[in-house]
Amino acid sequence: MAEQINNMPNEQGYFGEYGGSYIPPQLQVIMDEITESYNEIKNDPAFIEELKYLRKHYIGRPSPIFYAESLTKQVGGAKIYLKREDLNHTGAHKINHCVGEALLAKRMGKKKIIAETGAGQHGVALATAAALVGLECDIYMGIVDIEKEHPNVARMQVLGATVVPVTRGTQTLKDAVDAAFEAYLKDPVTQLYAIGSVVGPHPFPMMVRDFQEIVGIEAKEQFQEMTGAGPDALVACIGGGSNAIGLFTAFLEDDVDIYGVEPAGKSFKEGEHAATLTLGKPGVLHGFACYLLQDDEGQPLPVYSIASGLDYPGVGPQHSYLKDIERVQYKTANDSEAVEAFYTLSRVEGIIPALESAHAVAYAMKLAKELGPDKSILLNLSGRGDKDIDYILANYPPED
Amino acid sequence: MNYSIMSHMIASYPDERTAMQVAKGLSRGGASYLEIQFPFSDPTADGPVIQEACTKAIENGFTLDRGFTFITELMKIIDTPVYIMTYAAPVVYIGVAEYLRRAKASGAAGCIIPDLPVGSDEGMYQISSELGLDCVPVIAPNTSIARLQEILNVGPKHIYAALRAGITGTKTELTEDSLSFLAEVLKYEVKVLGGFGIRTREQVSALDERGVASVIGSYFVERLESLIETDADIEQGMSDAISSLV
Ligand SMILES: Cc1ncc(COP(=O)(O)O)c(C=O)c1O
Repeated sequence: MAEQINNMPNEQGYFGEYGGSYIPPQLQVIMDEITESYNEIKNDPAFIEELKYLRKHYIGRPSPIFYAESLTKQVGGAKIYLKREDLNHTGAHKINHCVGEALLAKRMGKKKIIAETGAGQHGVALATAAALVGLECDIYMGIVDIEKEHPNVARMQVLGATVVPVTRGTQTLKDAVDAAFEAYLKDPVTQLYAIGSVVGPHPFPMMVRDFQEIVGIEAKEQFQEMTGAGPDALVACIGGGSNAIGLFTAFLEDDVDIYGVEPAGKSFKEGEHAATLTLGKPGVLHGFACYLLQDDEGQPLPVYSIASGLDYPGVGPQHSYLKDIERVQYKTANDSEAVEAFYTLSRVEGIIPALESAHAVAYAMKLAKELGPDKSILLNLSGRGDKDIDYILANYPPED
Repeated sequence: MNYSIMSHMIASYPDERTAMQVAKGLSRGGASYLEIQFPFSDPTADGPVIQEACTKAIENGFTLDRGFTFITELMKIIDTPVYIMTYAAPVVYIGVAEYLRRAKASGAAGCIIPDLPVGSDEGMYQISSELGLDCVPVIAPNTSIARLQEILNVGPKHIYAALRAGITGTKTELTEDSLSFLAEVLKYEVKVLGGFGIRTREQVSALDERGVASVIGSYFVERLESLIETDADIEQGMSDAISSLV
């Protein structure tokens, strides 16, 4: 089984029955080109060197791991360690794949790189990488998210990107993906679509995972060095699943329990959550097969989470597969648990987490109690929470 | 003159009763084929006109049950072959085999599902040929000759050539490139349907000269909308819309 996991996906981009590429033919040719270029570039020593250099000197890798001692004490259970992806340049894990995708775009001779964004983290990271590499950049963003994530919109604009407001549908992440796809279909020759997570048609789920894998590779070594052993459990939040797969990949064959945390939103009522793996069924959206929140007609359902980066009705195909083979357990945290974890980590450790990452913190706190003090948890702190501060203060002001 | 046109419309748009009138009008006006779209919320290959119509049709309560019932009812009153067009999502959701079985039972002549390409079609071409259903593969100007042959190997009766990249809606200029692409496809023994941005009689005539039937979509949806706005007779209006092109 383990060997199988690490050889995924197959040549058609399938992880078991998930993934693949369900796209119109004019786009298939383009995806084949991207796959070919990526396969070339990933073994090219010059590319590997450049990526390594930028990881170290531009992104600031390796990001540290930190033993959250006070949080551990307060919770009173397993030791909680944080992989500090929030300390990366631009403040989240997204920069890991954006730098990779921007280098690929440059190598393919593209002029412009485009993408969707939910929380704005992927948009900011891509705008940053585009500025670095010298590419134009268009970011598609639902107007609901534009309202909520204003600081990130401003950052993208300062970085020279064009933020394209998306007004269709639910005006959030799913619709931003539609709009970016549409723009890409119109001109797939001069542009590259740099999707924001381990989703979309092949090769994106594979490519984005490969660029994120560094998180787990570093963490494994750092954790060993710090504690002399491996962690007992891994925890990461799941939107599309990029930060989670980034942490998990290096550990899939190890003796460690792995947990992905989905947003339970306000409730498990239709439209009030985005717990795709927990409540969804297999289906197809945006060119790939995965667990999906959809109605009886196969139409995607509206989704919601307090964390804009998590409210997507689909999820990465590899996560869908890892759920089926029960290698990873998918759990949930709701809005109020996330907000509580947001404050707790800020107050106890002086680390303000992104609301997305706060879902992982919330679940890790629960898990720590269950596991007890002899165990250890390694959590991917995927991003920092500066972008969420205004929203939190306006809607959940501190009680003291 | 009698040009061959595949006219496109959306099931349940703006509502079932009106959609029936649209289908009757298109058929009476001289369409050689009707392409009836079962709406999906995220239609990747469609421009704003069809997108919005699909959204409204879903809001108006479109379901696959209603869609298939619509086709069954329609086939009682027209002879024009009907091709059901939709996207992979709803099809995969109920299962390709089940979907095709229901399409066949409704009396449809075939199916068009652009994002279930040959090779990643979940058995669609195999099952449809067993059922005697004509599934139409879609190709684009950047489809390679090797790929084209792979597609023709599944033995389709028709092939849908998107005349340019991008999405439906905006007018397509029939350039040297798109015409030489068509010339390549025309070498084979398969009936070619050419579409994306066809809106004028000149375009229809240019395609017809080469033995290619025109697929026309957004243009008819727009015509339907103006008929609704002016409270005109829908069946007559759609019939006129197509007879001015054929
Ligand atoms: C900080 C942070 N964490 C997590 C996510 C969720 O994405 P993924 O599941 O791909 O890691 C986002 C998305 O915007 C994010 O900004």
